Amino acid sequence: MALEALLGVKESFVHPFAAEEEGKGDFVINSFNNQLQLSLPPLANPLSSRTNFESEECGRKIKINFDHGTTTLGFVYKNGVILAVDSRATGGQYIGSQSMKKIIEIHKYLVGTMAGGAADCVYWDRVLAKQCRLYELRNKSRISTAAASKLMANMAFSYKGMGLSMGMMIAGYDKNGPSLYYVDSEGQRTKGKVYSVGSGSVYAFGVLDSGYSFDLEDNDAYELARRSIYHATYRDSYSGGIIRVYHMKSTGWEVISQQDCLELYHKYKDDKPLLSQ
Amino acid sequence: MGSERYSFSLTTFSPSGKLVQIEYALAAVAAGAPSIGIRASNGVVLATENKYKSILYEEHTIQKVEMITKHIGMVYSGMGPDYRLLVKRARKMAQQYQLVYGEPIPTAQLVQRVAMVMQEYTQSGGVRPFGVSLLIAGWDGDKPSLFQCDPSGAYFAWKATAMGKNFVTGKTFLEKRYSETLELDDAVHTAILTLKENFEGQMTSDNIEVGVCDDQGFRVLDPTTVKDYLANIP
Amino acid sequence: MSILAYNGSAVIAMKGKDCVAIASDLRFGIQGQTVSTNFEKIFEMGPHLYIGLPGLTTDTFTVLNKLKFRANMFELKEDRKIAPDVFLSMVSNLLYERRFGPFFVEPIIAGLKPKTFEPFIASMDLLGCPNKPEDFVVAGTASEQLYGMCEALWEPDLSPEDLFETISQALVNACDRDALSGWGASVYIIEKDKVTHRRIKTRMD
Repeated sequence: MALEALLGVKESFVHPFAAEEEGKGDFVINSFNNQLQLSLPPLANPLSSRTNFESEECGRKIKINFDHGTTTLGFVYKNGVILAVDSRATGGQYIGSQSMKKIIEIHKYLVGTMAGGAADCVYWDRVLAKQCRLYELRNKSRISTAAASKLMANMAFSYKGMGLSMGMMIAGYDKNGPSLYYVDSEGQRTKGKVYSVGSGSVYAFGVLDSGYSFDLEDNDAYELARRSIYHATYRDSYSGGIIRVYHMKSTGWEVISQQDCLELYHKYKDDKPLLSQ
Repeated sequence: MGSERYSFSLTTFSPSGKLVQIEYALAAVAAGAPSIGIRASNGVVLATENKYKSILYEEHTIQKVEMITKHIGMVYSGMGPDYRLLVKRARKMAQQYQLVYGEPIPTAQLVQRVAMVMQEYTQSGGVRPFGVSLLIAGWDGDKPSLFQCDPSGAYFAWKATAMGKNFVTGKTFLEKRYSETLELDDAVHTAILTLKENFEGQMTSDNIEVGVCDDQGFRVLDPTTVKDYLANIP
Repeated sequence: MSILAYNGSAVIAMKGKDCVAIASDLRFGIQGQTVSTNFEKIFEMGPHLYIGLPGLTTDTFTVLNKLKFRANMFELKEDRKIAPDVFLSMVSNLLYERRFGPFFVEPIIAGLKPKTFEPFIASMDLLGCPNKPEDFVVAGTASEQLYGMCEALWEPDLSPEDLFETISQALVNACDRDALSGWGASVYIIEKDKVTHRRIKTRMD
């Protein structure tokens, strides 16, 4: 204790709520009891820019290449919400996995997509799933998509500036019908019709925007989503692998297709002379 | 006056189209000690006179036959100091080539580059041409070669040739003696004989120099070896 | 990100029995963005001599042009074709001339020596340090993956057909674990009396 006091380290650095909940001086690093209590960086000010661990004491960059590159998209149309994602996980330029599952089923009527730090997305989606189940038990009705996405936004906001990296879409079907939210680690939360997130999003938008209409038929909607992700995987090095298409319907989510990029390349290349060279 | 009017600068042609300074250089060569080169089937020989003008002279200190790289050697007729400059340049060029390409310089390349230096001294201001002609002997992988390099920068590939004093008679002698199937040992013999043709006084292992180049590389024969060759000469 | 990885590339060369192979991917990108998928990184420098120039594309071309100049001058001056080992020295010297402001390329040379037709492969770092191993050489953003594949697949005295199969598998599977290379591949098999060039289909993501 004395040494810490000398160094100016606050006792509460272990986690922000420790002092209030467990009593002063207790060091409890335990996210099993409360998932919202992650241990904070051992710094006097956890919000300082050093929290992101981008550089070491001499100012040189530290290489933390956690999974980043992705293409995900989602859009609302007359028969629900379509979500489509790729499956590549990269650490820097290294392809760590070609079979990542970037759509997380929170429950039957709620799914989220992940872009950014894989660990962050998976962890907070899991926490969200727990919160949603609790809500259902307490209130005897399913949580609305709006409420679920707000829970996520609030959780993300409480760690703002500490280096979380997430860009997720939350799609759900509740009593108000289908809806789609964008939530990110900066605390932003917006409702919308068409989103694409990740390093390949610019390419996906190119295809998606040119073909999108609210009145699309099911198969056309699936195909539009698939094509958008496919073209993103072609242009964006950090996207690829398997293209997964999900449909959120009034009866819950459904997997429409999971296809390898190579399969789609051969399918699409005849349509587009430039690619077949 | 005549040609002197056009010799104030060596870069100026005389009306007849000559660069007289070069002709004077060739005259210096023709007045120099004779040297012989013969290309045999399995090697090349270079031989030259190295006479000392006084008995007080310490022989075998100043060498005329010089190694340029392991597989190339050189000798001259004409002015010694000019020759030593060229030897220095040739050695540098050979090493430079090895540095850049990682393999020994081909003899033809060395000759070309030395010739280029000699030509430069016929066209630059404030300099004079070299007062030497060179004989360059080399071995390139599987074949011998013999070149002559003149002050003008002209160079020739020879089967056998003579330069310096009495070079005309030397060449005539070689024309009679040369054969395509000549072996290196016989070529050394022939070279010494050619030197002997016009040699004034007693020829010994101390007043001639012989260098040979074959698949073992270039080497200057030591006096005892030369002595053995001389013993076979009547 | 290293400037060497700005455009992305993968090049590999292997020795076989009386033959050599050299292969590269076909992607040209700008960081994560794939710009072209038919970009050759292997160039012919003589009848049995090829060079692969992975790295920063602008330097690939600069170095290629400088090498062509020097190799052509060599051929004119010496009235003979340049041999692979001589060419290696030439490239090495060219790169070291820029020791304090290097070209960002890591050349790989593959060929057969004149007369003996002995297989020759070599690689270099961007400063020109030559490396002449007995088995294979790799370079580019996928070099770690290529090393892994080569260590697993390469064996001595491969026939031209087997060498083609080995080098292709090594390249394709290495590129599948590298985000910045792939999108098709190009393979040269160099034999005494023929050179076979093949394009290989790979994943396009």
